[in-house]
Amino acid sequence: MTGKRISRRSFLGIDLDEKNKVSHLNPNWPTPKVATIYKNFLRDKTPVYRPNASNIKHKPIYVPSSTHVLPTVDWNKETAAHLLKRVLSGVSYAEINNAANQSLSEIINQILLDLPIPDPPGEWVTEEPPAWDTLSEDEILIILELYNERMYTLIDWWILRMTQSPLSMTESMTLFWHDHFATAHSKVFYPQAMYEQNAIIREHCMGNFKTLLRKITFGPAMLIWLDTHGSKKWHPNENFGRELLELFTLGVDNYTQNDIEEASRAFTGYVTNGLIANYDYENEVGWGIWWDDWHDFEEKTFLNQTGNWTGDDIINIILEQEVTAQFLSRKIYEWFVYEAPSEEFIDEMAHIMRENNYEIKPVLEFLFTSEHFFNPALRGAKIRNPISVIQGTVRQFELENYTYPDLFFLQIHHFLGMLPLEPPDVSGWSGYRTWINSISLPIRKLLTTSFIDGNSPFGQLDGTIDVIALANSMYNSDEADYASIQIVHNCSLMLFGIPLSESMENDLLAILLDGAEPYDWSIDAPDNDGQWNRLRDMLRFMMKKPEFQLS
Amino acid sequence: MKRRDFIKSSIALSLLGKQIPLLAFNRPKYLPKRSTQWESDRILILIKLNGGNDGLNTIIPINNDIYYQNRSNLAINPSDAIFINEETGFHPSMLPIMDLYQNEQMSIIQGVGYPNPNLSHFRSSDIWVTGSDSESHLNTGWLGRLFSLEYPDYPDNAPEFPLAIQFNSANLLEFQMEETNAGNMVFDPEVMYQIVTGNYVPSENDPPPESFGGNELSFIREVDMNTFEYSGVIYDSAMNGSTTVDYPNSDIATQLALTSKLISGGLNTPVYRLSQGGFDTHANQSGAHATLLSDVFEAIQVFMSDLENQGLKDRVLVVTTSEFGRRVGENYSNGTDHGTSGPMMVFGSEVVPGFFGNQPSLSELDQNGNLLNQFDFRQLYSSLITDWFGLSSNIAETVFKSPFETIPFIQSPLSIHKPIPIPATFRVEPAFPNPFNPSTQIQIHLPKSAPVIIRLLDSRGMEVQTHQRCILTEGNHSFTFNGQELASGLYFIQVDVEGTALTQKVTLLK
Repeated sequence: MTGKRISRRSFLGIDLDEKNKVSHLNPNWPTPKVATIYKNFLRDKTPVYRPNASNIKHKPIYVPSSTHVLPTVDWNKETAAHLLKRVLSGVSYAEINNAANQSLSEIINQILLDLPIPDPPGEWVTEEPPAWDTLSEDEILIILELYNERMYTLIDWWILRMTQSPLSMTESMTLFWHDHFATAHSKVFYPQAMYEQNAIIREHCMGNFKTLLRKITFGPAMLIWLDTHGSKKWHPNENFGRELLELFTLGVDNYTQNDIEEASRAFTGYVTNGLIANYDYENEVGWGIWWDDWHDFEEKTFLNQTGNWTGDDIINIILEQEVTAQFLSRKIYEWFVYEAPSEEFIDEMAHIMRENNYEIKPVLEFLFTSEHFFNPALRGAKIRNPISVIQGTVRQFELENYTYPDLFFLQIHHFLGMLPLEPPDVSGWSGYRTWINSISLPIRKLLTTSFIDGNSPFGQLDGTIDVIALANSMYNSDEADYASIQIVHNCSLMLFGIPLSESMENDLLAILLDGAEPYDWSIDAPDNDGQWNRLRDMLRFMMKKPEFQLS
Repeated sequence: MKRRDFIKSSIALSLLGKQIPLLAFNRPKYLPKRSTQWESDRILILIKLNGGNDGLNTIIPINNDIYYQNRSNLAINPSDAIFINEETGFHPSMLPIMDLYQNEQMSIIQGVGYPNPNLSHFRSSDIWVTGSDSESHLNTGWLGRLFSLEYPDYPDNAPEFPLAIQFNSANLLEFQMEETNAGNMVFDPEVMYQIVTGNYVPSENDPPPESFGGNELSFIREVDMNTFEYSGVIYDSAMNGSTTVDYPNSDIATQLALTSKLISGGLNTPVYRLSQGGFDTHANQSGAHATLLSDVFEAIQVFMSDLENQGLKDRVLVVTTSEFGRRVGENYSNGTDHGTSGPMMVFGSEVVPGFFGNQPSLSELDQNGNLLNQFDFRQLYSSLITDWFGLSSNIAETVFKSPFETIPFIQSPLSIHKPIPIPATFRVEPAFPNPFNPSTQIQIHLPKSAPVIIRLLDSRGMEVQTHQRCILTEGNHSFTFNGQELASGLYFIQVDVEGTALTQKVTLLK
């Protein structure tokens, strides 16, 4: 781009809607005084862009050949690229090629392998919250600044983990469950609580849903996020009860308002200080004075079952319901396959989930080896989210080990609306077409092409795409095609969500060759040869094509 | 048609494909040009006083003791206020618009709100922009729904001009349609034009694949192309347009100056949403509020005189909105807290001047001590739809899901006599199932008997089957299409009644 440079200011200095600024804060958390100071503190921060929600109800789709395993003969570079692009934000050509040279089951084993638990972003993740009552306003403000910095550190730490992830689903499943349990730091307030929830999700994202649900429910972050903390038997707060049923497990129409009220009575007496909760995981019970005083020990009737239910009992009853596995399977399907469900396939996923007692891996394995998942009708049907577009581009071009300007990715996702740990609301990101509009689309193109020349509106980049290494990784001397043609095919495989059409192939070759013949383009050309700039031009062109937004 | 013949003809077509682009279907570039259904050339400028404007300190009840008792620090003294009548004064910062007021180009609608008001910025803003009531949540904007009724295929068959201009970088919920957003950002048309055109490559070289991925590709191509064309239209208008007066330096004046340029440069966009933040005056209100009001009113005055100089004034209406007013009593920080209803101000040569509604009662309040509303904001918006834009009351009723009585603040209600898109003279229900295999059904509703042609076209727009060519009676008729002999792919069902055709996409998946 030539002409006027876009400053960060002209991007972010614009007044966003007021609603983006201060969201759903608890006026008493952690104390009313801190809450007031915190609210004013947030008002001065640049707000996160919250994409609008979508309320489109999608009609079920019909895609044939649903539940069979993909025949071995169909495992090739195209299917490997489809699988890896869907389970990771973006993959390099070398990763696609390696995968195609192994078997589907070997790749599945690899992507379903849990990554080792990473070191936390700082010692502070276990820091005891201060005694707020003893602090002056200035002292509180210093801590708020500190918490804000820690939050940035935590988000950056996670984005880096996604970007530098090896071929494993750990980070993408962590993001999936974060979208599912959609908890926002702005309300939770304690970075240590947000870290704890993130670590729990990472540990159990491909483990057992029962364990995950229980650990999330009684973790400090969720206790605060949906107001379980401080909910008392004489005035139970329904926020968590409602979302647990509507958004986390059963889905609408599978419970009544009465069930919400009864569940909410069971979720009383649980409290947290932001670091720990009064809940004993081993014995599945609350403890301490608040538990004794605030928990409702009386009889409750939930989903037609009567007893002196605690929060754990409610979770157990929910997990007995057939619709729970159905609901979770649909969420997984929507995230990884397509926004409109194929009902018979989801029935099968739910069946496997129930058979395996809510173990997540068998469901993922079934999904990602099924012929249905690879059906050509569904390829490219996913509109990439901002994490996929940005972190994916970094991964595709192996730029993950460069040092980026301070808060580079954080600012981008702030702007594009997918800032991790700050989802728009408890229903998570709506995704799909809500990502694309007259503002986001040109900005996506601007940001991704900036990895080619290094001029980003968010700062100058050290690492830019190494086109020579890229070309070499994509060229195989054993194949009959000229290097130029191999590169066009393989770039398309890596960057586009749908198959390369004949006229697109001609367009790409025309840019790459600039009038020369395919055989004129040499993989051994010297570093300063103009053909490398033409490859850069071709990549720019591809990133500006709508096909690039699809996966 | 036999399957073999079908395959033969489609091979022939694909070979010919390059030479006959005009036949290619679903390629917007070649479709009959963009629709121009929006017949009115009237323009609506909405200015949001963001944060909740203090209505009582804007239109001041100078003769009301309760006001002075409740606001010992913040009240505007009768001697400081601009005298309007025995009961009412304007905030001194409204001096710039006094000429407009005296020349009968301003109306004030008192006590605009909605029942069961919500005091959160977030929620109350959403209620205003979605046009919902306080019990229900809508995910589309009232203007988004209005645009959808006029342009049901948007972003397909989009008009030649952007439907809405906004100055916020995030898409506004107010312009949200079911599937996309009609807002176009113009913080700087030149920079935006550079970003958009610098990142645009023509997209319509290939028909999209006949798959769900292909559907998404078409969608992105439409947004991409509209954005590209609109950024050019906006840029051209900004370059051709001019301003005839000096605008102040405030944020809102900058937005209005650009708006004036775009309008005078010929942009036909019907709606602009501008905003001025800072009205959430919880603490130390007086100085801040005075500055905000004078920024806003100075800018409006300059803008209106600019439009007058350029002969554009009668086409433009300026309306201020705010998510709520503020509490009657001041708080302990010399500010005011979130309240309920407030006055909306309308400027233009076409207004019925003066006041609608009364000075709000300060003795009759709701259970939380807040002002009662006299008008529902949807009455104001319905009046804009029918009287300003000249659209039918059915449309306003559909947008807000129930009828709202209009407020007669537009002097010369426009009336465009044109067929209302809903209900059309005939309707075709979406095919079900879709995708289908082997058969799918449509239902046609005819208001009177008429000659009907029903065709099945392939993705290139070629006729595959002529299903019926007959005269049908008034009422409902079902037709089943059988795809047993057809290949998987995208098809179009076209129903032609007396020369008007409705077309819908269906996918055969075998």
